[in-house]
Amino acid sequence: MKELQDFLAGRIWLRDFTPFSREVIDKAVNDGFIAVRKGITEKMECARCLNNSEDTIVAFDCARCGGICHYCRHCIRMGRVSSCTELITWKEPLEISSYSHSFLWNGELTNLQQQASDELKESLRRNEPHLVYAVCGAGKTELLFPPLHAALSSGKRICIAAPRTDVVLELSPRLKSVFPGTIIHTLYGGSPSEEGFAQLVIATTHQLYRFEEAFDLVVVDEADAFPYSYDPALARAVKKSLKTAAPVVYVSATPSKELLKTVSNQSRIFRRFHGHPLPVPAYQPLWSYRKSFHSNKIPVKLVEWVKTQLESQQPFMIFFPTIEMIKQAEPLFKQLDPRIKAVHSKDPDRKEKVMMLRNKEIPGILTSTILERGVTIENVQVAIVGADEEIFEASALIQMAGRAGRSHEYPQGDVIFFHNGISRQMDKARDLIKSYNREGFR
Amino acid sequence: MNCYLCENQLELKPSWRDLFFVDRQETICSTCRDLFEPIKGGCPICSSSGSELCTDCSNWEKTEFRGALDGGKCLYAYNAAMKDFFHQFKFLQDAILAEVFADELAAALKKTPATIVPIPMNPHKLKVRTFSQVDSMLNAAGVQYLHLLEKNEEVQGEKNRQERMETRDLFTLNGNLTPKRIVLVDDMYTTGTTLRLAAKLLKDAGAEEVNFITLIRA
Repeated sequence: MKELQDFLAGRIWLRDFTPFSREVIDKAVNDGFIAVRKGITEKMECARCLNNSEDTIVAFDCARCGGICHYCRHCIRMGRVSSCTELITWKEPLEISSYSHSFLWNGELTNLQQQASDELKESLRRNEPHLVYAVCGAGKTELLFPPLHAALSSGKRICIAAPRTDVVLELSPRLKSVFPGTIIHTLYGGSPSEEGFAQLVIATTHQLYRFEEAFDLVVVDEADAFPYSYDPALARAVKKSLKTAAPVVYVSATPSKELLKTVSNQSRIFRRFHGHPLPVPAYQPLWSYRKSFHSNKIPVKLVEWVKTQLESQQPFMIFFPTIEMIKQAEPLFKQLDPRIKAVHSKDPDRKEKVMMLRNKEIPGILTSTILERGVTIENVQVAIVGADEEIFEASALIQMAGRAGRSHEYPQGDVIFFHNGISRQMDKARDLIKSYNREGFR
Repeated sequence: MNCYLCENQLELKPSWRDLFFVDRQETICSTCRDLFEPIKGGCPICSSSGSELCTDCSNWEKTEFRGALDGGKCLYAYNAAMKDFFHQFKFLQDAILAEVFADELAAALKKTPATIVPIPMNPHKLKVRTFSQVDSMLNAAGVQYLHLLEKNEEVQGEKNRQERMETRDLFTLNGNLTPKRIVLVDDMYTTGTTLRLAAKLLKDAGAEEVNFITLIRA
């Protein structure tokens, strides 16, 4: 029973797909520990992801219940929820005792980090939401450690939600080494099941669909990032996963206007932890680059840039607007250096390739926006091909630019916007970066 | 409306045709549609490449299943896009995907004078899956069909090739009168065992011509 409670407390789960046997679940239902509800509510809303769009709650002729059933297409990849599907929750909230969690961390915070860390701790003590607005490379994760330690020790259950699996996988080992005695679960699509009751959960935002009134605190990392800001369902998921009146901490380098307006407790860090300013993007026209790749040629200016990096043996990342363009470009770049690799969101070897770049086994990488954040490679030089394309919003451009100059040893680095005409978003990104540098060095 | 597969907005192209005909609404975008690979020509039974009867089908003709299938057509190759589609349809149970190939199935079946007979699922499996892929695709295509077969408990997908080809009692007749000409419909042609078992049973019960259509050639 303890195992079942550990698993189910705070979760909302498909009755037919738990790690427990049917008998165990049935008994807990009969004994009144587990509540059962229909997957799709009377109001045609998915009870798991709260989607209620007519386009994605659709009807079909169901052979199980012998009638017309509705199912939710929005969260179907987590196992389909339909009208005759049963979802289960654990009725009683689980009491967490307060004790001092072991905290293995001897890093030092800069004055700005320390101030933000203290402000955040104070907000959490008062159970209020907080926004950490900090540039790429400010050291956001580190400043969370002391407030997280205080919150864990006071018996709070916490979730750190990030938009992408890559970011979750990067955060998880860091938190596990800082809180070695705490049960931490790492959840993403296809993650292995873990035992025990996790007081700290690190998850992709999507995984929050599977929680309900679970957390005393949710930290939304990269709060601006795709798909979070585009998908209202994810914002609802964060809310649903929180206990009543529990606060959210937003962490972002490029928060939306809305976030800046609605969250009154804010800490701002416009200076990187190493004290150097952010590299400011340079504009470089690259006329008709699409045509050029189509006719199997890399535009001359881009060839020159890549050759410079190859000669000076500096690792580089080149961002492209589409997967198709990456596929067109990959063989051409391999003619410049056969070791150059390409990655995109559907590439299963992404992690390994990024590791190779970090270890200097390959000179450079061609990538989609998938590597725009959460990736740190020493002395990396950054080019964005088609910086004027619609997909590159200012926030994305700032993130990509933020890959450069992150380390103490190499605080500078190239950031080149290769373009076919200057877009507003490019100007917005560059102006914001300049304004961060002004504010950070006042 | 968004594309059922990639969720991008579907472009609505107004045309003269729309004024005079009520066509089925597009369900997926042209980019997704182009990723599927229709099979042209191929083996007259199983549609595998080449224009002659393929080696596998020739071998079948040397067994007790000689002449069980008179001919067949598989509409699409089992490429990456089709694998994704099939996974989402069958295993994620995204039932509305039955509409995606409705036009193609309707075109392949509408002129046939033969009775259209779906390969059934066994009733237990059907309850778990909540819908039959084949029946729901035929419903979406708007073609009339008649069930003649019942499927026993065995599951072909869980066997290896050898075991599959040795299977013999997969189907029984459900008692409906067997018509002279039949087109069997299934989602996928893999080894061809399923379709031949069904066809032989129907021929033994009096059918004179049995052809088939499947969506996919695996």
